[in-house]
Amino acid sequence: METPLREPTFLILTALAGDPLHGYGLITEVTRLSGGRVSLRPGTLYGALDRLADAGLVAVVREEVVDGRLRRYYQLTDHGGELLAGETERMRRNVEAATARLHARPGRPATPRLSGGPA
Amino acid sequence: MSDLERRYQRLVRAFYPPGYRDERGTEIVGTYLALSAPGRQWPSIADAADLAGGGLRQRLRAVGAGGIGPGLQLAAILALTAATTLAGGFLLLELNPWAAAWFGPSPVATPSVSHGVWVWAAWLLAAGVHVAAPGRWTRRVIGLTLVLTVALPLADVLYPYRPPLFVLVAQACLGLVALGVPAGLSLRVRLLPLAGAVAALPVAVALARGGNTMTPDAYHGYYGWPAGQVLPAAGVLLLLAALVVTMVLAARDDLRGVWALLVLLGPIGMMWLHPLAEELAVVMYGGGPNVDIRTLVTAASIVTATAVTVTMLALTIQRRVRPT
Repeated sequence: METPLREPTFLILTALAGDPLHGYGLITEVTRLSGGRVSLRPGTLYGALDRLADAGLVAVVREEVVDGRLRRYYQLTDHGGELLAGETERMRRNVEAATARLHARPGRPATPRLSGGPA
Repeated sequence: MSDLERRYQRLVRAFYPPGYRDERGTEIVGTYLALSAPGRQWPSIADAADLAGGGLRQRLRAVGAGGIGPGLQLAAILALTAATTLAGGFLLLELNPWAAAWFGPSPVATPSVSHGVWVWAAWLLAAGVHVAAPGRWTRRVIGLTLVLTVALPLADVLYPYRPPLFVLVAQACLGLVALGVPAGLSLRVRLLPLAGAVAALPVAVALARGGNTMTPDAYHGYYGWPAGQVLPAAGVLLLLAALVVTMVLAARDDLRGVWALLVLLGPIGMMWLHPLAEELAVVMYGGGPNVDIRTLVTAASIVTATAVTVTMLALTIQRRVRPT
């Protein structure tokens, strides 16, 4: 799997780092994690899951039938966990470097302020 | 079973390969139904496009071409840069203030600008949109520009002055590959197509002011010369650029460049269409290399068949050597 990961891939792996999720649960979790910015569609999601499963990063952990329809639950594998941890560490170092530089700028607020947030 | 479920199933059947839809079809449809608003009767256009894209990716994955997607994106960036570079040069030649006329042996009876000016301007617009709004908006503008490029020969009835077919075919092939241009690129990469167009301007000025050494073709204006010289040279440059990118990426165990090279074979071959058609004309008719529609169509068919065969061969080899 090529790194750095694209944001949707990163979010899918992050969502699957917790409890196993089925397709619908995974889409809603990715939307929640991204604050509504990333909204996956099923065709795209299952293509990504196939790719991640081919790379050994996610796996089906159980199946169940609800209202006559098959649900598969996916979870991060150990290899997926290692890759996600490596990516998170890389991003953390970048955030720290950027934060330190922003702190060092004269006459600028030390912490970035969100629009509409407290002053 | 609801109408909506039946319609989603029809889309899955239409787009996905049989084995995969048996395994995953109900899961995909179930997820769509879980996401759909109550009372919905029909899948949206976006849903249909999503399933079409998912089905295509699955078909590519099934033949062992899963890695072709990132390669296609890389090829798209290179193709867009080549297309806008050529457009920048051709636009200046169209508007060339140093030339009296473009088409026909009589400067008085023919216009100085062809419809190509709109096509080239549209490609430059695509380069600008790629900087400001990469991804979906860029693809939309490229799609419209591609339609304009292909439609130009059809407008012959209304206004017969346009760039010749071999120029438009090469541009359309580059545009087709450029449709795969992704979002999320760095500003430096987003600036490449615009930088290419700007870099082409001094070259075009030099050609336009070439005087006696660069006399325009009596029938094709400045397109006559670029078709024979500039387009194939641009094809070689594109090939070299793709090779360099391939080697740099391969040094990092990233084989995207190999797929990009394969995808670019078609457009690069089409940039060589005119010299190929000239060679064919000599073989087919004897005498001088007089290109006509038959030689051009034959040359385009040879290029297409070669590019498809090489790509299929690469896919077969990859499928065989890939560990299962």
